[in-house]
Amino acid sequence: MDLKLDADELNACVQCGLCMPHCPTFRVTGDETLSPRGRIRLMREVHEHDAPMTAEVVDAFATCVQCRGCEPACPSGVNYGHLIETTRETLTRAGKLTPRWTRLGFFALAHPRLLRAGSSVLAVAGRLRLVPKRFGVPRDLPLRRRRHHTSGTDVYLFTGCVMDAWQRDVHQAGQRVIEAAGFGVTPTGSLSPCCGALQAHAGFTDDARRRATATIAALSEDDRPILVDSAGCGAAMKDYGHLLATPEAEAFSARVFDIQEWLAERIDRLPAVDPLPMCVAVQDPCHLRHVQRVHLATRTVLQPFVRRIIELDDDGLCCGAGGAYSVMQPELAGEIRDRKIRAIDDVDPDVVASANPGCSMHLAAAGVNIEHPMVLIDRALQGTASAGGR
Amino acid sequence: MSLLDRFRRTSNVADPLVTALQHALAPDRVRNDGAERSLASHDASVFEGGVSGPVCFPTSTDEVQRITRIAVEHDRGIVPRGAGTGLAGGAIPLGAPIVVSTGKMNRILEVDIENRVAWVQPGVINLDLSRHLRPRGFHFAPDPSSQQVCTLGGNIANNSGGPHCLAYGVTDAHVLAIEVVLPNGDVVLLGGLDPEPGGYDLRGAFVGSEGTLGIATRIAVRLTKNPPAVRTLLLSFAETRDAAQTVSAIIAAGIVPAALEVMDQRMTVAVENYVAAGYPTDAAAVLLAEVEGLPAGVEIEADRIAEIGRANNATGVRQAASDEERALLWKGRKTAFGAVAQVAPDYYLHDTVVPRAALADMLEKIYEICERHDVIVMNVFHAGDGNLHPLLVFDARVEGTLERVHAAGAEIVRASLDAGGVLSGEHGIGVEKQGYMDELFSDADLDHQNRLRQAFDPTCRANPGKVLPMGHSCADIQALRAVPTGVWG
Amino acid sequence: MSSLTSADEALHAFAADVGEADPIAVEGGGSRWQTGGVLHETARLVSAPDGIVDYRPEEMVITVRAGTPVADLCTALAETGQRSALPERGGTVGGAVAVGENRLDLLGRGPVRDSVLQVRYVSAQGDIITGGGPVVKNVSGFNIPKLMVGSLGTLGLIAEVVLRTNPTPPASQWFRAAGVDPVAARNAVLRPSSVLWNGSSTWVLLEGHERDLEHEITALATIGDFAETEGPPAPPPYRWSLPPAEAAALHREVVGDFVAAIGVGIVHADTAQPTREVDPGIAVVAERMKTLFDPTGRLNPGRNPNA
Repeated sequence: MDLKLDADELNACVQCGLCMPHCPTFRVTGDETLSPRGRIRLMREVHEHDAPMTAEVVDAFATCVQCRGCEPACPSGVNYGHLIETTRETLTRAGKLTPRWTRLGFFALAHPRLLRAGSSVLAVAGRLRLVPKRFGVPRDLPLRRRRHHTSGTDVYLFTGCVMDAWQRDVHQAGQRVIEAAGFGVTPTGSLSPCCGALQAHAGFTDDARRRATATIAALSEDDRPILVDSAGCGAAMKDYGHLLATPEAEAFSARVFDIQEWLAERIDRLPAVDPLPMCVAVQDPCHLRHVQRVHLATRTVLQPFVRRIIELDDDGLCCGAGGAYSVMQPELAGEIRDRKIRAIDDVDPDVVASANPGCSMHLAAAGVNIEHPMVLIDRALQGTASAGGR
Repeated sequence: MSLLDRFRRTSNVADPLVTALQHALAPDRVRNDGAERSLASHDASVFEGGVSGPVCFPTSTDEVQRITRIAVEHDRGIVPRGAGTGLAGGAIPLGAPIVVSTGKMNRILEVDIENRVAWVQPGVINLDLSRHLRPRGFHFAPDPSSQQVCTLGGNIANNSGGPHCLAYGVTDAHVLAIEVVLPNGDVVLLGGLDPEPGGYDLRGAFVGSEGTLGIATRIAVRLTKNPPAVRTLLLSFAETRDAAQTVSAIIAAGIVPAALEVMDQRMTVAVENYVAAGYPTDAAAVLLAEVEGLPAGVEIEADRIAEIGRANNATGVRQAASDEERALLWKGRKTAFGAVAQVAPDYYLHDTVVPRAALADMLEKIYEICERHDVIVMNVFHAGDGNLHPLLVFDARVEGTLERVHAAGAEIVRASLDAGGVLSGEHGIGVEKQGYMDELFSDADLDHQNRLRQAFDPTCRANPGKVLPMGHSCADIQALRAVPTGVWG
Repeated sequence: MSSLTSADEALHAFAADVGEADPIAVEGGGSRWQTGGVLHETARLVSAPDGIVDYRPEEMVITVRAGTPVADLCTALAETGQRSALPERGGTVGGAVAVGENRLDLLGRGPVRDSVLQVRYVSAQGDIITGGGPVVKNVSGFNIPKLMVGSLGTLGLIAEVVLRTNPTPPASQWFRAAGVDPVAARNAVLRPSSVLWNGSSTWVLLEGHERDLEHEITALATIGDFAETEGPPAPPPYRWSLPPAEAAALHREVVGDFVAAIGVGIVHADTAQPTREVDPGIAVVAERMKTLFDPTGRLNPGRNPNA
């Protein structure tokens, strides 16, 4: 079966295997089929040797979290992200991977009112304990959200879809922090409702391209920076250049910054305040660490505002959230999360900081006290140095 | 159950062997899908020709024993598999044997500081063990370059080395006892925690036997105390010969550094491109030297190495200023094999060892041979041990390339043997170096090696067709079975 | 291709002497003549060739014939500031390898089994067999040298070995203190070459650079009143092998006078070590090994390292 893979990208892998321990599914299963090297081998068998696309092979591709932890570990620079995305796109088109009906859910992402309405239903259902726990949906979703307000035109703050419905308080904390550094912020709100990351992740690449085109069109009136406080969205938007392969997309991607990344350069502009009296373990979202590779900025911006930053001793292994992964593959996602939680327990922090809504919800669902770095900084700036999270 | 499972077709294979295995383990821990078997037919070498039978994922000694008994009953071969990072094809199954993956036998069972021993399952990753021991001030000394992924069971099978084996010795010196499921299904404990367990050193015979004597299921490894002081030096040279001579001179001066590693320019450029550790890309060769121990001695030896380097025309001597810098330099060295894909998609690697004094001449010879055969060569090696790793890099898709690579490789091996060396220092013989065994050993020598093998495995069931060349192996007696129909290989 | 050359005449003469038929044993220094059982009277005694064949200090390897006294080996090595793992007790190199006993300062010297890089032996069939190789690192084929160490000449008669050597440290000194926990002494220093204990006193051998020794002495002083001493205590006659933690827990009331190598597990005691049971599965492999290497049982009849 033609997987539409680039022959050179596929051949860049020399099968050395150094990627395997950095793969969350390999780590929890010990099964090479569920490792990057294994999956690339399967791609070769299918793509080059016309091996049958059996259920086992499909499963190997379906279970990839797409955390891309294997990429920095690869000395040959194999672009695994492209390989797996293309493979999944081909399989999805052939109706072999993501079930078509899930597309409905992704449709809602780009329609804020529908999403918020659905979210409110979920919020009520959650409070009534009607949502199965394995879906990993927080039980305390907000029923009311404070409106966005524009404070200036220095930067955009990209608010996205699910995060805006479920974690708008994080956007608002981030906005206050950026304002405290002396910049005027335009939250994108319904101007640009969804970046398309989740669609791309699930193999609905056409939908993702449509979302990307719309996002670029909506935010290209001028060339101000676009700050993103969701690592997954940031990674997707930085990849528009590759996704659409147009000069406009390239130019747009160059304007996208992770909020921590952007703030780290301007950290001196924030006032000196008493740090929060807590030890904070930093959980690096994969799309920040492995894809955007700007995870060190999180430490730079947090450092002045907390008592101590603690590193997890797990090489930045994925937590298992992976966009919709925790819903599609709850069992594996749970095992991967257990491993992360052990790493967290080993260092025993007061709170965990994570710059991605998916990771936060996935870990919070297992009882981890977790906050967005911006929320912690905002809290320190407000002087409300009370311990504990939500 | 994942959502996908509902769409899944279950493959109903009525193979009685598979049924027996599934019954002995669990259905989801025996795989017989063609693609999954194809995966188990490869390791990190370029060898294509492996054919795997069912792939099993046992979790205990008991399960390995059950699998072995089923292999006996069904007269099938049995091949253990760790992380599949071998470079000589040792784990590549020949003739559709049962493949026993140790992937799910990955627990550290006990850390016994009093005896300075850890009991581990064979699937524990080498670096995971050292990482686990770190808070207690110990580590597992053998550190193959693939240590972030290779397993201890694999280390035992290959008697793996690594940069720091120069001072500490290879895996064999760090393995005290091994619980083994013999090819007939018996479970025995080889060696012991005491220093002279008595009897033939079957433990010593087992280490490095490449899976041909049985399957290790529990291993007692020696723990090494972390040294309080470490110094890492990076010396650069305008001539490769000078780097090699520096190595000889260091050893001759009575210094046994923890590690002495050399990379030539092509390799350094590829590595630096990946790690950006500050390796000088304009040097013909770099020498990474590490000394460790107590602070004063380390200081003395580091100074002495720098001095010897300068006396041998080193153009630069740099000492790693921080742990981070040191770690980055080592990351570069240890990912070197993987980095070659930047140059070409395939590599064929030799692993010969020559007397240290022959290194300089040997390197020149390697360049000459490769130039003559029009093959790109990149050198990275454990210079302190005289252990060469010429990587012949190529694109297998270009017709005629593989032939040239093999011809060049054969000449390199012969030149190494002529220099008083051996075939393999740490990667093993597997299937790739089998053809050279009779150039190193006489017929009678090989016959005795085969006797050792037969004492453990009279029927040649464990990893059949490896190490000993055809004509000397008991595999001749039990001809490798033909590929069963339906196997997709 | 044979790796033997015509220069190995002494080996060929030895092989011819050994022949291929009658019961036979090699006589070395006789310092461990009773180890592993009593030799049958029928066995003809031969001597292995002696002499140092090749010594390359800069390679830290030495090729030496089996009949060479260990004392001669030591002298030759000492001339270039090197030493080996073999114990010095009046025997031959071949005997030391065939018996495989380690030195009490094993921590500093390493075990005998790790120091034998290559072995040449005469097989029961009268052939000269080479196992291993003359370089410091080698995984080419099965590990015959490991099998020969401690085999008491029951699988082949050792003719020549290539040994790994080591530089002799610049400074070396024994220390002794009474009433000190020997395990604490072992843990206080980084790499002691030996820690011995007799139930009341602890001996520590420190080796290395002068300034490192000073550092280690300071560390030792924190746990006891260590003073320089001439050398280790005289070891009682019977040799035990125990897991290190058990050796450290020995009592005089139980085993009589003893000297235990802490962190190693070798113990010399006044009484013999209780016999250890041989795992039946191992016995099968060992017996098969013996039968395959020596089908007629002619090599060192009466001796059995596996008993």
